[in-house]
Amino acid sequence: MKRMFLIYKTCMKANIASAITYRVNFILNSLIMLIGNVLFPLVTVFIYNSNASFEGWTFKEALLIQSVFILSTACAGIFFNGIMWNTMSHVVEGTLEVVLIKPTSSLFLLLARSFEFESIGLLGGGLVMFVYALSGIDGMTIGSWLLFLLLFGAGLLVMFGVALIVAAISFKWVANSRLPEMFESIKSFGRYPGTIFPKAVVAVSSFLFPVSMIAYFPASTLIGRWEAYFFIAIIPCVLFAAFGIWLYTYMLRSYKSAGG
Amino acid sequence: MFEMIKHRFRLMRAVAFVTYKEWSAYRTHSMVSIFVGPVYFLVQYYIWSAVYSGESSINGMSLSHMLSYFCATMLINYLTMDFADWNLQMLIRTGKFITFSLRPMNHMFYALSQKAGHRVLGLLFEFIPCFMIFFFIFHIDVLPANLLYAILSIAMAFMMNFFIHYSIGMVAFWMVQSSSIRNFFSLCEGIFSGSLIPLVFFPKSLQMASFFLPFQYTTFLPAMVYTGSYTLADITLPIPQVLLLQLIAVMIAGIVCRVLYAVSLKHFTGVGA
Repeated sequence: MKRMFLIYKTCMKANIASAITYRVNFILNSLIMLIGNVLFPLVTVFIYNSNASFEGWTFKEALLIQSVFILSTACAGIFFNGIMWNTMSHVVEGTLEVVLIKPTSSLFLLLARSFEFESIGLLGGGLVMFVYALSGIDGMTIGSWLLFLLLFGAGLLVMFGVALIVAAISFKWVANSRLPEMFESIKSFGRYPGTIFPKAVVAVSSFLFPVSMIAYFPASTLIGRWEAYFFIAIIPCVLFAAFGIWLYTYMLRSYKSAGG
Repeated sequence: MFEMIKHRFRLMRAVAFVTYKEWSAYRTHSMVSIFVGPVYFLVQYYIWSAVYSGESSINGMSLSHMLSYFCATMLINYLTMDFADWNLQMLIRTGKFITFSLRPMNHMFYALSQKAGHRVLGLLFEFIPCFMIFFFIFHIDVLPANLLYAILSIAMAFMMNFFIHYSIGMVAFWMVQSSSIRNFFSLCEGIFSGSLIPLVFFPKSLQMASFFLPFQYTTFLPAMVYTGSYTLADITLPIPQVLLLQLIAVMIAGIVCRVLYAVSLKHFTGVGA
């Protein structure tokens, strides 16, 4: 365990050192990532500015859901999303054996190397938006914060599962850089209040592909709109991540070197 | 003159055909849109259905107009999508651009021909399947209000997209790594082209600014022509005038791009070629 911690720390240091070396590029890319990701709440801003709304949701409540989505995306970006691109690039170039021969778990090593400091700007932006949205919400308790953290963690498990599934598919569907787009499109259901969707969509986005857990469920607990089924939805989140790990490990066996 | 046009057309057809064949090997890349497009549209459908509950019109657009607009923007994007900037900066950075100075055809025309071939693939594997899905499954009115006007506007959007992206790609003649500039530009394009939300939702000052920026001519304007009415910053224009406006914008972008190309070539040093 201590050894794994040391490996992770070394990878983190390497990524931060690289960011410091190419600092102008790092700052620009962090800013662009921040602005790009905070764009989608712009739709909500324009909608509410036009005197329209998501029925039953105030502007700040809707914004809270979207800020939680940004926070979740930022955490995923920092800790594990890079595994998709790293795996894809290794498979295309045929260089994965460099990782496979290392005396540690390949999945862990790829994960450690996926640490990406660039999303720190996004995390900061998400936090600012989150605090702003919270300023319009009353009645939060320590209990609701604990529930929020629990569901937020479950949401990260969904993102982790998605990253691993996409990476695993790339072993067979080589060089398809649009693969993450497919999952991104499904994740977009989690950006908005679940009440705007029909019940069938809510059921799918809660239990089958639990994207509601990424933002809608955690934010709802802070607003005080939580429902019992939110907690049942933690089970598919755990299963999703477990399936991702299993699929990745299984598909790793089908890797064919391209002579790298 | 006629012979020269005929010759250029033959060249374009040959390059487009080769590009089409080359990208056909990766047609699943394009076919991802058959899944992604309808899923994104479904999200938009529920968002706007919720927003319009109890409202017949917001900023002059009805719900059906809004849904048609989003379908039109997606479909138009499949026909006009461009990555000439990425391609050009890659050729410059690796020094491969030097090979084009040996060819009897300038790179700008070559890139345009490549785009034509690539978008034929988009027509077959993205536009037509998604059009069918929107029309037959979602029952959205995706037929253009006037076919001729829509074709003209999309053709001009195709050229506009190319000129803008190629001009951005030429930044690489001055900067070795231009990815941040390209990303910044994509960001502006995302906001001001109208693909995120129709420009009529923007504050009036930004709507006015859109007339002078190149972005609305790639998405918002052709989508409005497609759906049959155009209003921006409280200015309603008849479609022929809108097309004239787009033509002027495309011509300006074309001239700027051509001048930049001439200047850029003098700046090129084939490092690593």
